[in-house]
Amino acid sequence: MFTPDRLSELTPTAKRVTEAVGTTGENWNMSAAPKQDPERSVFSDYDYSNFYYGAGDDPVNLLKPFSTWYKEALPAGYYLYSEPLQSAPTTEVRVRNRKTGEVQDLLNLASYNYLGISTREEVKEAAIEATRQYGLGASGSPILSGTLEVHNQLAKAVADFKDKEAAIVFPTGYSANVGFISALMRSGDTIFCDQYAHASVVDGAILAKSKTVFFRHNNPLDLERKIKGVRGKKLVVVEGVYSMDGDVCVLPEIVEVAKRHGARLLIDEAHSTFLFGPNGRGVAEHFGLDKEVDFHLGTFSKSLGGQGGFVCGSKDLIDYVNAFGRSRFFSCNLAPPVAAGLLAGMKIVEDEPQLRTKLWSNVAYLRRRFAEEGVDIGKSTSQVMPVLVNNDSKVFAVAEKVQDRGLYLQPVTYPAVPKHKSRLRVSVSAAHTEGQLERAAQVIAGVLREEGVCRT
Amino acid sequence: MSDLTRYGYKHAISGFFEFPTENARRILPSHLEPVELHHGTSIFSMTAFDFTESMVGTYGEVVMSVIVAPLVKPGERLPKSAFYPYLVGTTTRAAREHAIERWHLPHWMEDVQMSFAHEGRRITASVGVGGAPVAEMTISDHSWNPVSHLYQSFMKDEEGAFLANIVMEGSQSEHEEETGRIQLFDHPFNKDLMISEVYEVPFRELWMRDGQQTFDPLVTLETAS
Repeated sequence: MFTPDRLSELTPTAKRVTEAVGTTGENWNMSAAPKQDPERSVFSDYDYSNFYYGAGDDPVNLLKPFSTWYKEALPAGYYLYSEPLQSAPTTEVRVRNRKTGEVQDLLNLASYNYLGISTREEVKEAAIEATRQYGLGASGSPILSGTLEVHNQLAKAVADFKDKEAAIVFPTGYSANVGFISALMRSGDTIFCDQYAHASVVDGAILAKSKTVFFRHNNPLDLERKIKGVRGKKLVVVEGVYSMDGDVCVLPEIVEVAKRHGARLLIDEAHSTFLFGPNGRGVAEHFGLDKEVDFHLGTFSKSLGGQGGFVCGSKDLIDYVNAFGRSRFFSCNLAPPVAAGLLAGMKIVEDEPQLRTKLWSNVAYLRRRFAEEGVDIGKSTSQVMPVLVNNDSKVFAVAEKVQDRGLYLQPVTYPAVPKHKSRLRVSVSAAHTEGQLERAAQVIAGVLREEGVCRT
Repeated sequence: MSDLTRYGYKHAISGFFEFPTENARRILPSHLEPVELHHGTSIFSMTAFDFTESMVGTYGEVVMSVIVAPLVKPGERLPKSAFYPYLVGTTTRAAREHAIERWHLPHWMEDVQMSFAHEGRRITASVGVGGAPVAEMTISDHSWNPVSHLYQSFMKDEEGAFLANIVMEGSQSEHEEETGRIQLFDHPFNKDLMISEVYEVPFRELWMRDGQQTFDPLVTLETAS
């Protein structure tokens, strides 16, 4: 219930100022109170969270305040978001600077593409061939006319890779969480989410109309406290790797609590499928808990640099999700060239385990270099590294300097992360060379030092 | 004569705590909508004031609130946030009578005892009633900046529904380091809260010092209920 539904009953236009109010404070010592800096901008006083809720008579009332704020936010740093790439999202990219309009050649540390295979020739060829065979799109819902043979091949490949009976493919990772959770859970059920779970998990819970309880991030004790004594259907949702902090789920403890309380467990392995575990199946495999987790969800957009999401599990589960996963069957199916490219990408993942080895070697290298340079990456133990700036007013200046010195990165600020936990988010890829990572470490550390953020 | 009402304070400290939206809805009148931090999780706040100057002298005040959607109007300054104070406690009868008459704020009808313990970068506000503890809240500081922020306070009593625009000026520290804590005691003062479901660590800690709180004249709202 994010939209106030009863505030239309308010008719503030009919307000009257009560005459009973009087006057005080004429002898006030005004100088006692610090005054606001007149140069202080609207931008620094507000953030996205201030433009979400607004009661009143008209749904457009927040548009103008937001637009006024956004006009200040853009040159102050928001231009760094959605800068259009002029090239493929490989390790070196051409980017049009939204502030200056200039095209810059930058070292890319922002794109997912963790295994660097989205632009491999065999992937592109597969997509081109599928375009020739099937054309641009699926032209239908997957439960009507939109299932092409390539979709079935992709679902089977995913199930085989994850060592599960069956899998079902969604057009995006977002729709996979929304569709799966709302297919399975109902009003009266309870969903326990890690507080840092992705928005798609939360939106799935909202659509399911279940009671949603958030437990403290990666904290099985808080989960225990909240799940204890709750009756009825229970689903616990965690992620393999958390996208803003790059830390790994404490899955063994979560599994133990969930099982003890009779809850089912869903793991979203968006940032860990194809990367973690002896076979790359994900964090569940990494911990040897693949069979202990009830539902496995993943995406193709992160490690493979493609698009789409999937759920895998028993044949019965997949048949049920096929029937009730509204986000899937009320969407057009995944574009066939993408599905074919993903199939080719998955073959590379299976044939070339050395890509994972290279990724982890790169991760280790950059972690070491960041540590040597005094760059704080929090609790990250994965390829997602938050470079903590921890200063909401400096983070855009830091990001701007970093880009001016040749790196493509975005700042992450409140409300995406808590206040004063602002950061730059680095995505390491197997495609990066050590030379590129060294350049990244030096530029980032240099800027942070100039801004007084580095420890050393 | 100005039509504004001003109160000067030494400290105004707030903790913002997660609690269930069901609890928030039980507290709120039907025309107000709780702001949700997450789906199903609303925000309870406790604010303790150490007022040093006012038309009713010096006094302490504790305000228990639910954070609600602000009223946004074209051409008017956008509020930082809005709250519904469902219970206010004051250390003096004069302050209580003043706030009830002028602002229609719902009060605990006895004097409360309040103390502030300021140690280094932390401050604790303790509130009691008749010698029994009611609430104890500790927060810490971060970086300090001068601010002037507009808030909205919604009130409702048998005389109607009201809105006060309040500007808070002063030196402000705000953070989400989760260093604070609240202890709410089992006491009729806290009867509106399911204490066990209020998360005891504030997700946000806001501390203002040496500032003033300025109320615009009260606005009467017409609601359907």
